[in-house]
Amino acid sequence: MFGYYVKLAFKSIKKNPLLSFLMVFAIALGIGASMTTITVNYLMSANPIPDKSEQLFYVQVDSWDPHNAFNDESGDPPNQLTWTDANNLFDAQKAVKQVLMAKSGGIVVPEDKNINPFEVQIRLSTADFFPMFDTPFLFGSGWDMAVDSKLEQVVVLTKKINDKIFGGENSVGRNITLAGQNFKVVGVLDSWEPVPKFYDVNNGAFDEVEDVFVPFKLKETLELPSWGNVNCWKSPDSEGFKAFLRSECINFQMWVQLDNQEQQSDYLMFLDNYVSEQKSLGRFPRPMNNKVSDVMTWMENQQVVEDDAKMMMWMSFMFLIVCLLNTVGLLLAKFIGKSSEIGLRRAIGASKGQVFQQHIIESATIGLLGGIAGLLLALLGLKGIESLYGDFVKNLISLDFTMAATGLLIALLSSVLAGLYPTWRACNIQPATQLKSQ
Amino acid sequence: MLTMTNVKKVFRTDLVETHALRDFNLQVDEGEFVAVTGPSGSGKTTFLNIAGMLETFNEGTYQLDGEDVSHLNDNQRSKLRNEKIGFIFQSYNLIPDLSLFDNVDVPLRYRGFDAKERKKRIEESLDIVGLANRMKHLPSQLSGGQQQRVAIARALAGNPRFLLADEPTGNLDSAMAQSVMELLKEINKKGTTIVMVTHDPQLATQATRNIFVKDGQVSEINDVVAMHVANG
Amino acid sequence: MLELGPIFRALLRNKIGAILIAVQIAFTMAIIVNAVFIIYDRSQQTKRPSGIDEANTFFISSSGFGDDFDIKGTITQDLEAIRALPGVIDAIQINAIPISGSGSSMGLQTKPGAEHDGTGVAVYMVDEHGIKALDLELIAGENFAKSDIRWRGPAGSKWPAKVIVTEAMAKRLFPDLSYSEAVGKTVYINDVEPMIITGIIDKLQAPWVGWDNLDNAMLSPEKMEFQSTRYLIRTVPGMRDQLMKTVEELLAENKSRVVDGMRSIDYVRERSYRGNTAMIKILTTVIVTLTIVTSLGIVGLASFSVNRRKKQIGIRRALGATKADILSYFMVENFLISASGVVLGAVLTVALNMLLVSALSIPPLDWFYILAGMLVLCLVGQAAVFGPAKKATEIAPATATRTV
Ligand SMILES: Nc1ncnc2c1ncn2[C@@H]1O[C@H](COP(=O)(O)OP(=O)(O)OP(=O)(O)O)[C@@H](O)[C@H]1O
Ligand SMILES: [Mg+2]
Repeated sequence: MFGYYVKLAFKSIKKNPLLSFLMVFAIALGIGASMTTITVNYLMSANPIPDKSEQLFYVQVDSWDPHNAFNDESGDPPNQLTWTDANNLFDAQKAVKQVLMAKSGGIVVPEDKNINPFEVQIRLSTADFFPMFDTPFLFGSGWDMAVDSKLEQVVVLTKKINDKIFGGENSVGRNITLAGQNFKVVGVLDSWEPVPKFYDVNNGAFDEVEDVFVPFKLKETLELPSWGNVNCWKSPDSEGFKAFLRSECINFQMWVQLDNQEQQSDYLMFLDNYVSEQKSLGRFPRPMNNKVSDVMTWMENQQVVEDDAKMMMWMSFMFLIVCLLNTVGLLLAKFIGKSSEIGLRRAIGASKGQVFQQHIIESATIGLLGGIAGLLLALLGLKGIESLYGDFVKNLISLDFTMAATGLLIALLSSVLAGLYPTWRACNIQPATQLKSQ
Repeated sequence: MLTMTNVKKVFRTDLVETHALRDFNLQVDEGEFVAVTGPSGSGKTTFLNIAGMLETFNEGTYQLDGEDVSHLNDNQRSKLRNEKIGFIFQSYNLIPDLSLFDNVDVPLRYRGFDAKERKKRIEESLDIVGLANRMKHLPSQLSGGQQQRVAIARALAGNPRFLLADEPTGNLDSAMAQSVMELLKEINKKGTTIVMVTHDPQLATQATRNIFVKDGQVSEINDVVAMHVANG
Repeated sequence: MLELGPIFRALLRNKIGAILIAVQIAFTMAIIVNAVFIIYDRSQQTKRPSGIDEANTFFISSSGFGDDFDIKGTITQDLEAIRALPGVIDAIQINAIPISGSGSSMGLQTKPGAEHDGTGVAVYMVDEHGIKALDLELIAGENFAKSDIRWRGPAGSKWPAKVIVTEAMAKRLFPDLSYSEAVGKTVYINDVEPMIITGIIDKLQAPWVGWDNLDNAMLSPEKMEFQSTRYLIRTVPGMRDQLMKTVEELLAENKSRVVDGMRSIDYVRERSYRGNTAMIKILTTVIVTLTIVTSLGIVGLASFSVNRRKKQIGIRRALGATKADILSYFMVENFLISASGVVLGAVLTVALNMLLVSALSIPPLDWFYILAGMLVLCLVGQAAVFGPAKKATEIAPATATRTV
C-alpha cells in the first residue's frame, strides 16, 4: 500500500507541476535558510572535545582591582591569570593534569636560505597540553614535564609549518631558529582544528591553532613578547620585562583536568587556600571569587556563539514558518481541488484512514523533495556565508552528516505537520456531497 | 422586443468547427412566454447565451428593444444584461459562499442600487418565491426546488423586462417542476417576457408560444399536436 | 463599486485559507520590517568616519630579528626615507591602527588615586608628525614639539607628561567645560601618573568598532623601541597603491627584518565592518526571497481560488458584473486579508523587535518602520493578487450555462 501511495503522490505532484513546484520551492528555501544558520550556530556551539569536556576545567581567580570588578555585569573573576598566579598554581600540581598557556610570536629563520624569514604565532604551553587536549601527532610527540622545568628549548610544529620549513619530512630531531634562539623539534602535529578553539577563546574563538608550541617558562628567560589580550588594573611597579611578569597584568590561561566531583571540590578548596595565602601577602584585595568551569560552561560564559549568528537563526526559523504556512495553504488548495477525486475514492470504498495515509504520504514526499533541495540550498548558503565573512568562518561552514540528516528530518517533520490540516480536510470530504453538489 | 436575423455562431476548436447556429431567425414580442424545445446539441443553449449577451456571434444581427447589440463592448453588454435580463439556469447556479440574501443581492449590487432599495427588492422577490423566512440560509441548506426558487428570486429582483431560463426544471421532479412553471407563468402575467428552454413537452405546452430548434435553425410550431407529430 | 459586506461574509466561510495568508503576511512583515531596520542601523554604523584620511593611508609592519638589530636607528632611518618619498604627505611610527580591531586602551581620570574611576581611552603613540599623518584637525591647544617625543622601552610602563585627546574624550573627562577649556588641565593615567592636556583634536576613532567608547582616543608623544613595529603612511590622493609597493621594497632592503602586514585603511574598514556588510547582504537576500515566497504563495492561493470560483465568476458576469467588478472583487478580498495580516504583523514585528532588543544588542524600532511595513505588505498583496484577478476577468459569462 505504501508503495502505491508514493506512486500516487508522485502522480499528483506531476499533475499539478506549478503548485507542486511552489511547495517544494517554499520548503526548500525555508530549510535552506534554517540549515545554513543552524549549521553556523551548531559549529559555533559545538563541543570541541566531547570525550573530555566534562573533565577539563578553566581556572579563574579574582586578582582584580579592589575598586572595580573585572566584569561589572556578571561579577565574574578575570578571564586570565597573572604570571605569578599561573606559575604558583601550576607548581602546586594539585590537579590530575594541568597546563599553562599564553600566546606569543616570533620570527623563524629557516636554515634553507631559499625560504625567507617569516613570523609565526607561538603557543606557549606546558607538557600536559598535548595529552590533555588529545592532540594528534604526525611525527614524534610532545615534551615531558622535566623539559618544562629544565627550560629546554624544544618545539612542536604544526603540520602547516613543518610543510613550509621541512617540506613535510619527519623533522623530529632537527633544529630551527625561532626568536633568535635554537630550538629542537620534538614533534609535528597532524591537522588539528578544534572548533571553537576552546583552549583560548579570548583571542579569537574561531581562529586557527598557533603555528608552533614552545615550553611556557621560556617566556621569562627568552623574554618572549605577550601577544593576545593583556589587561592590567594597575601598571607594573617599574620598567622592564621582569617587572611586567611580576605585575598584576593578566595574559595567561590555565586548564586543569579533574576527573570527579571530589577532585573538583578539592581543587576549589585549594584555590581558596591559595588566595587566602596571597591575601596575607597583600595581594588579592577583592572578596574571594574563584571559579573552575568545564569546557562547555566556559564556552557559554565567554559567549562564543556570536549574537549575529543567533539573530540570523531566529530569523531563519521565522522564515521557515512563513514557508510552511505557504505550504499549508497550497496543500489545502491542492487537496480541496481534488475534492471530487477524493469523493470518488471514498464512494468506491476507501476508508478515512486510507485517504489520510495517501495524503500524508503526499505531503511527506513534497517535504522530502523540499528537504533535499533545501540541503543543496544550504550548501549554497554556507558558500555564501564564506564569501561574505571570509577566513573568519572557515571552520564554521561544513555541512556534516548529522546536519544533513537533521535537515531532512526537519523538512519531513515540518511538511507532515503542514500536511496535517489539509489532509484532515481531505479525509472529511463526504463522498455524497461530492457526487451530488455539481 | 427581441429580433434575431440570420444569426450565425461557429465554435472553432483545434479539431472541428461546430455550426451551433446557422441562419437563426426569431422575433419575440413584449409579454410573450416562449418555450424552446429541440434535440440535444441543436443549439438551444447557444441561442439563449447569445440572447442574454453571454456570448458573441459571428454573423447576422440581434436587436434587443430595438437596439443593435452586436457592436457593444463588454462593459456595455454587462450593463444591459444587468438591467434588462434575468437568468435562470438548470443547475440553479447560486453562489455557495453567500447566503440567500447575499445571492439575490449580487445583481442589485452591480446595478448600483443603494442599501435600502436593495433590501426592499431582495425581501420582495424572496417573498414572491416564498422563501423570505430563510434569507440567512446558505444554498446548501435548501432542496433543489428551493434553490431554483432563489435563483428565480435573484432573476426577478432587478425587475428585468426579459427572463431567460435554460431548462429551469431539468433537475426537479414533476411536481416541483410544475410549481416552478406556475411561478414563471405568474411572472409572465405581470408583464415580463420569458424565453425558456425545456425538454419537457408537458411544460412547453403551457407557454404562449413554442419554437423548435433543430440543427441550429428555428422551426416554429404553434400547434401542440403538430409538435407531438414532429417528435414522432 | 465596493461590496465589502458580502466579500467579508464569503471570506468568513473560507476562514482557513484567508487566515493562512494573513498569518503568512504577518510573519513576513515582522521579519522584513526588523530586517530593514537592522540593515539601516548597520549601514549607519558602517558609515561612521574614523577621522583619518582613509582613502590615502596605508600601514606596514617591520619585525627585526637577531641580537644586533639596531631598533632606534632603523626606525629613524625608515621614517626619514619614507617621508622623503615623492607623494608621501607624512609618515609615522604608530602602535595601533584606528578601526583595525587591535590596539591598547588605558583609563584617564581627573583626580589621582585608585579609588577614582577612569574613562576608557584608546592610546595612539605618535611623534610630532602624528596630526598630519592621521589627517587630524587640532581644534584647540598645540601639537607636540619634537622635543616632547621620548622613546618607550620594550616593556616600558611609564607615561609622558603631555597628551592630546579627542573632543569627545575631553567632553567625557570635563563635561562642564568647553573642549578648549580642557587644554592645560591635568589628567591621571594609571591612577596616579599625571599628564597635561596640551591639545584637542576633532575626531579619531579607537581600534575597536564595537567599543562603547569608540570616539575616545588620545595621542601620546612617543616612539617605541620595539623589535616589531608599524608605520602608517599618508599619501597624496591617487598615489597610495603605487607608494605601497615602493615603501615595501624600500623597507625590505634591510635583510635583518621581516616586512609584512601591509594593508590599506580601506581594507581595514572592509575587514572590520565585514560582519555588518555581510549581515546587510544576508538580510537583503532574506527580504527579497521572503517577499517572493509570500507573493508566490498569494498568487498560488489566489489562482486556486479563482479556479474554484470559475463558475461563480461566470454567474456574476451573467448577472451583469463588468470585468472591473470582478477585478475589484478579488482586489478587495485580498485587501481585507492583507489588512488583517498587517495588523497582526505590527504586533509580531514589535514582539520580534523586543526579543532582539532584549537578547542581542539591537536598538528598538522606530514606529514609522511599522507603518511603512504595513503599507508595503498591503501593496505586495495587491500586486500579487493582480495577476490571478486579471485572469478571473477573462472567464466567459457563458461559463454560467456551459460548465455543469
Ligand atoms: N464552447 C463550445 N465550444 C465548442 N463547441 C460548443 C461549445 N458550446 C457548444 N458547442 C457545440 O455547439 C452545439 C450546440 O450546443 P448547445 O449547448 O447550444 O446545445 P443544446 O441545444 O443546448 O443541447 P442540450 O439540450 O444538450 O443542452 C453542440 O454541438 C455543442 O457541442
Ligand atoms: Mg443546453
